[in-house]
Amino acid sequence: MAEQTFTLPDLGEGLVEATVLEWLAEPGERIERNQPLVELETTKSAVEIPSPHSGVIVRLHAEEGAVVQVGAALVTFETEQAAGIVGTVPREEERPSRRVRLRPPAE
Amino acid sequence: MTEALVGEGRGANGAALVEMTMQQAINRALDTALREDPATLVFGEDVGRLGGVFRVTDGLQAAYGQNRVFDTPLAESGIVGLAVGLAMNGWRPIPELQFDGFAYPAVDQIVNQMARMHYRSRGAASMPITVRLPSFGGIQAPEHHGESLEALFAHVPGLKVVAPSDPNDAYRLLLQSIRSDDPVIYMEPKARYWDRRQVVLDGARAQAADTGGDPIGASRIARPGRHATLVAWGAMVHRCLRVAELAAEDGVDLEVLDLRWLKPIDTDGLAASVSRTRRAVVVHEAPLTAGLGAEVSSLITERVFCDLAAPVQRVTGFDVPYPAGPLEPQYLPTIDRILLAVQRTLEF
Repeated sequence: MAEQTFTLPDLGEGLVEATVLEWLAEPGERIERNQPLVELETTKSAVEIPSPHSGVIVRLHAEEGAVVQVGAALVTFETEQAAGIVGTVPREEERPSRRVRLRPPAE
Repeated sequence: MTEALVGEGRGANGAALVEMTMQQAINRALDTALREDPATLVFGEDVGRLGGVFRVTDGLQAAYGQNRVFDTPLAESGIVGLAVGLAMNGWRPIPELQFDGFAYPAVDQIVNQMARMHYRSRGAASMPITVRLPSFGGIQAPEHHGESLEALFAHVPGLKVVAPSDPNDAYRLLLQSIRSDDPVIYMEPKARYWDRRQVVLDGARAQAADTGGDPIGASRIARPGRHATLVAWGAMVHRCLRVAELAAEDGVDLEVLDLRWLKPIDTDGLAASVSRTRRAVVVHEAPLTAGLGAEVSSLITERVFCDLAAPVQRVTGFDVPYPAGPLEPQYLPTIDRILLAVQRTLEF
């Protein structure tokens, strides 16, 4: 288990800050990677930011309506296991689902 | 990296029994190789300071210094070219190509130089190179990070190709590859990096030459069974074991043969298993057409045709480029697709 803090990324086009419109997840909630995390508004547009990690949200660093600078902390996750720089750790069902049933051969 | 000593921590011949992930097992094999042979070198993109994008080379640069464990530019052809030059000068290189899809830029050096230098020099220059290649899919990574190149490399004369399926084999087969004087493509199943099991580590240095019993090219029966043989390698071995558990609920007893070495293929082991079960299903992640499943199917047919109760089935990826993350579960052989193929052999 490790805490990972996600900072407001460089939004491009010279934008230096963004306003938090709405958090789409709350502290204590488990979120999957790429699930919608927060809606931000810049002077250019409103964008939905997907979660960069899978894990439990520990802290939100900005209230709704607050202005966040690029590089400032946005949210802290507790992640189970980082896959590395690319990809996700595969999850395995305890009991895989199946539809095909077999009939044993005649002995 | 944290590891737990299991039980007494000592197996036969003073070898240590340690529970660890496949990442850690590969790390320990590299550590063992660097310690036992000062000619070994580990290099590649991000393997040094960062410790590898999957932490596989974590701590090695700190332990063995920047001259033996080092970062290279983002130039895969250069990485393998460097390995070829070093091997010609008496070194034992263990280069990493960071992802399967990044091996394509290095194919010229692998095929035109590394694979045939020994032949070209009439045996004067051996190529004791082990190319570590994190391979196959299953981690929902982007393009170029989920490819299965075993058929491509198995087709090249002069190369050996191996794909471990669990931590103990990962440790054992990597040391075997490194200690071999021939070039080996060592394909690491990324989807199994986090698989945690007991690993038998090398004991005293005196046993360093011992490769653990099985020679290069030996397969392994991962689960014995009598109704059909599932042939697989890498991450598909684990999937086939799960299929075998489900089949057992229906009264069907499946054998799972972990091929391990994709070149040379253990034709005897393959033939013996299928000769017993009389049915075979080959499972791989790579696309169907001209995949290694075709080779396995041919070998079975050539060797034990008269024992077969049904044609050999293949369950593979599709003949399309490897799909982006969310489609991966549909592309890789699913449990139901494998079960259906088994059913086809049972009903033939």
